Amino acid sequence: MKQLTNILEGFGSAVQLLVQSCRYAGTLPRQRARFIEQCYLIGYTTLPIVAILCFFMGSVLALQAGYSMENFGAKQFIGSLVGLSFARELGPVIVAILLAGRVGSAITAELASMKVYQEVDALVTMNIPPARMLVLPRLAAVLVMMPVLAIIGNLIGWFGGAVVSKYVQSIAIEPEAYFAALRRYMKFKDVGTGLMKAEIFGFVVVLICCSIGLSTRGGPREIGASVTRAVVASLISILVLDYFVTKALM
Amino acid sequence: MNTAQQTARVGLFFLLGLALTWVTWETLSDGKLFKQTGYTLIAGFENLKELKQGDEVRMAGVKIGSIEKTRLAGRRAEAVLRIDPGVKIASDATATIVMAGLIGTNYVGLDLGTPGAPSLVDGAELRTKITPDINTIMAEIGNLGQKLEGALNSITSSVSGDGKSPGLFQKIDLLVTQNSEKIGTTMSNLQDITTKLKDGEGTLGKLINDPKLHDELLATVAEIKSAAADAKVFVTDTQGIIAQVKAGKGTLGALLYDEESAASIKVTVKNLRDVSDKIARGEGTLGKLLNDDSLYLGVQSTLKKADRAIDGLGDSGPITAVGVAASVLF
Repeated sequence: MKQLTNILEGFGSAVQLLVQSCRYAGTLPRQRARFIEQCYLIGYTTLPIVAILCFFMGSVLALQAGYSMENFGAKQFIGSLVGLSFARELGPVIVAILLAGRVGSAITAELASMKVYQEVDALVTMNIPPARMLVLPRLAAVLVMMPVLAIIGNLIGWFGGAVVSKYVQSIAIEPEAYFAALRRYMKFKDVGTGLMKAEIFGFVVVLICCSIGLSTRGGPREIGASVTRAVVASLISILVLDYFVTKALM
Repeated sequence: MNTAQQTARVGLFFLLGLALTWVTWETLSDGKLFKQTGYTLIAGFENLKELKQGDEVRMAGVKIGSIEKTRLAGRRAEAVLRIDPGVKIASDATATIVMAGLIGTNYVGLDLGTPGAPSLVDGAELRTKITPDINTIMAEIGNLGQKLEGALNSITSSVSGDGKSPGLFQKIDLLVTQNSEKIGTTMSNLQDITTKLKDGEGTLGKLINDPKLHDELLATVAEIKSAAADAKVFVTDTQGIIAQVKAGKGTLGALLYDEESAASIKVTVKNLRDVSDKIARGEGTLGKLLNDDSLYLGVQSTLKKADRAIDGLGDSGPITAVGVAASVLF
């Protein structure tokens, strides 16, 4: 019962934080420097790990698909399988999980330490709402950066699949055939659906991490616990939301 | 890192994302983001099957466009085809939905049409032809399978029996069992016959074993061939004669096929009939000669008189002869 209460409390505080942040949306132009800084952290510095992970995810997907589809002579559809899987599902989910692990944890740790060391209280004392200064720039930055990360992740994943399809001897499909199959069964709507999912996942991850960070109580030991809680909550939220968003966008 | 550098990197990163999104859009939408090139044609079908937006349009196997959209129009389904610019479609070209794979990959195939036919313009409607899809083919194969199964069942029941009446094998078995003695005798006779054949006994055995008889047979066959050749020549000649007769050549041909001759013959026959009728009625000299006894009697009397006169002339012949000679000379 207490756990359920904690979940509902966390959900409520996240919604409250979102509402507060939206109230200060008009102040975003004055926080341009913070917005750019968050964009840099969320987008630019996350790109290398997104690229590496997506490349190898695409490669593994093509490898597994080639191994499985060879049995019933459907190797020529590997491009379609990798393309659709990455655009609609894997790309957004992988980017969101990386965001939760790399950026979300950092946000929670930063805000939790600010909270523990009473920097947040100091801001409140100076009549500076934390939602305006600490949360709004991060939410805005993730809204802008997530589609960019997702589209780059998609393209790199497709490229990884094409490389494996060409150079693995048991598959041996030329890139032209791979991308022709990818184009034949894909529409931009599939990519657009994936970008929308990435946008929702990223926004929720940052909101959860900010909420958990700002609600940290106690001493420095709580910072680590908050980070763990934020990452776990983010991952669960991503996967639960994934089902409902996918269902809604179908 | 200063703020300016950070801002520049973020801006560059964002622009990269926009550019990649635009490239993806262009690639997956066949470059239709800003412009619609080519022209559209309408192809109406009873059923579009698995045809969907984005599928290819091919002419003689070459991609010349894509399906822009599919829609229902009254009691039929229509596919709007976007044809690449510069591709001319003959007005009598026919569109069919072609199955490219077993997993629902279809495209619209166009034939070339006739060379001199005018080209279709934007918005024109194509001729279409319905082709059987995999479901129809599978249904036909299913029907064929049922028929085959029925036929096999019939054969099986006729061979093995259906429980009520014995099958072919049972009948053969019964026949062999009941007639085993006769079959044994027949086999023995056959063995005797073949032994005799082998030993050159009998006509057939001699024919097989005696080379002289074989040579005579060959000579007979050669004679028959020669006779047949003569008969062939005869038949050929006869055919030539018949051809000439049919062509109306020669007397017989003219008689059979010349209408003028036929008319003349008819007239002649008619005249003959008139003459014979007159003769029968006793008209004319010949009729009277044949039918009137008085003429016969008259002639007989005259002949008698002439006979007597000749007799009389015999007595005075020399005198008369001298008189005649003298009258000639003097």
